[in-house]
Amino acid sequence: MSMIQAIRQRVRLRRSRRSWRGPQIGVHATIIILILISLIPVYLMLTLSFKNPLQYQHERYAISFPLRLSNYSTAWEFIYSYVWNTLLGAAVGFLGMLILSVIGGYVFARLRFPFREPLYYAIIGLMMVPWIITFVPQYVLYNSLGLVNTLWAVIMLNVASGPVFGIFLLRSFFSGIPEELYESARIDGAGHWTLIWRITLPLSLPTIATLAVLNFLWTWNSYLWPLVAITDKKWQQISVGLFLMARDLSSNSSTAQELLGGPVFAGYVIASLPMVILFFFLGKFYVEGLVESGLKV
Amino acid sequence: MVDRTRTKEERKLRVNILWAQVRRSWQAYALLAPIFIIMIIFVYYPPLLGLVRAFYNWAPGKDPVFVGLANFKAYFVYSESGREITNAAKLLCFNLISGVAVPFLMAELIFSIRSTSTKETYRLAMVIPMLVPGVVYLLLWRHIYDPNLGPINAFLDAFGLKYLKRDWLGDPAIALYAIMGVGFPWVSGISTLICLGGLAQMPESVFDACLMDGCTGLQRVVTIDLPLALSQVRLLIILAVINGITSIQNILILTRGGPGYATSVPALRMFLRAFTTNEYGVGSAIGVLLFISSMGLTLLISRFLRPYAE
Repeated sequence: MSMIQAIRQRVRLRRSRRSWRGPQIGVHATIIILILISLIPVYLMLTLSFKNPLQYQHERYAISFPLRLSNYSTAWEFIYSYVWNTLLGAAVGFLGMLILSVIGGYVFARLRFPFREPLYYAIIGLMMVPWIITFVPQYVLYNSLGLVNTLWAVIMLNVASGPVFGIFLLRSFFSGIPEELYESARIDGAGHWTLIWRITLPLSLPTIATLAVLNFLWTWNSYLWPLVAITDKKWQQISVGLFLMARDLSSNSSTAQELLGGPVFAGYVIASLPMVILFFFLGKFYVEGLVESGLKV
Repeated sequence: MVDRTRTKEERKLRVNILWAQVRRSWQAYALLAPIFIIMIIFVYYPPLLGLVRAFYNWAPGKDPVFVGLANFKAYFVYSESGREITNAAKLLCFNLISGVAVPFLMAELIFSIRSTSTKETYRLAMVIPMLVPGVVYLLLWRHIYDPNLGPINAFLDAFGLKYLKRDWLGDPAIALYAIMGVGFPWVSGISTLICLGGLAQMPESVFDACLMDGCTGLQRVVTIDLPLALSQVRLLIILAVINGITSIQNILILTRGGPGYATSVPALRMFLRAFTTNEYGVGSAIGVLLFISSMGLTLLISRFLRPYAE
């Protein structure tokens, strides 16, 4: 044992002494340059959002003072209703989707019953169906149910298709909860309802946080669906709302110059803020949610 | 004869037992019922309707009429379909570079950093561009490409390279490549994080063994890392293929398929046929074709790229 450790240590020493220090600096430099280049769009957005037309004309790419914070209030006036719509839709949709996912995850993870696996795969298999074949008939369905042009178009989509992935994620987590916990609760006379909301849910808050972040990112970023399903400005979502904002700003401002400058970019920054806030408070879950959303084919 | 009756009885008994089990677990079915009712209406029904209605001529407020394969034919007879399919193929191939190869190399670079805290810092820095909503990110790139106000042309101006200035998204010869350029240098993104996750799973001992055998650098990447992270890489390849075939958000926002048909793809045609000219039948038919091709490619990839441990 000690010999293996000694060898390992020697290997590490060799690794750190020779031939690695040189390349490491190069690697650091490459990574930093690549990251800086990929940050350019974000930098542009931030600096441009603080400029008035004059600054935009003459100092477009440097940070110029004073920062015009009024751009933000101008932009906010044009997009606050879209922000609230999206937040409201995301919250209600997530709640419904969470209830269905938790129940489904619990039933598939903890109960034994005939046809359990076929039923489970009937749900999971839906992950293989791409949006492309669903999109047009989905619109027709929502239209015939009178859901188009209401917030329900966004909410129902989330409630109905969210659990496909939610059940998949929660089932694998719920399966890992020790059976003894359920056993003792059952002896105390707990029914399924108690087992779900008093035992399963409190134990799986981290996974649910990941699911929540993932779900929020999905709603906040969705563009094509609100574009066709909501035409009424009153219920429009943020992604489409940004285009409406740009249009309204150009028609409302006295000079066309104002459009070029800050308010549009300030609107972009405002649209990013919820994601930034989420990242600051739930950083780990945010990254996990991103990775999971990538796995969601 | 005797045997058959016995199996018949056995079967009967088995059905009875199953039935008893089903009845005993009525609670499970009761809990699942609302989920399935909602899903049948909102999640199962639309794709099935799409499959069926691809063979119908239908539009809102019109009775669907069965037309056989006419919708499929309509797409191939349409003069730009060849160009659209070529565009989609080009985008798909490029996705393999920007969505798989580059992120994998970036993950290797970050992975080779020894200091854990620096590694973590880089990982976080890569999340920053993802704190911007997808639509905003595309709008920012549209601004970057803007011929009059965008930084690319301003940069070329400043360095005396005026002859390189272009209307990046408005020139039919380069608009498609401009769309590919979005996100340059393509390192920050979920793909890199997924690759990093795959590399981090590899046991330390493999690297020690590698080093002892004098297998380092590119050789190690190809012979050790790539096979061991194959399940992640395969996932990225599948995602790149599906995105190449079905994603239209970038094209819709940047060029709307233009100028002319220079950046149009079948998926965009589906969207426009359905929602601007109300040809739902043709739209559904294109949707079915794209579904079949993306599904087929996905199955092919997962058939031929098999990770060791599966």
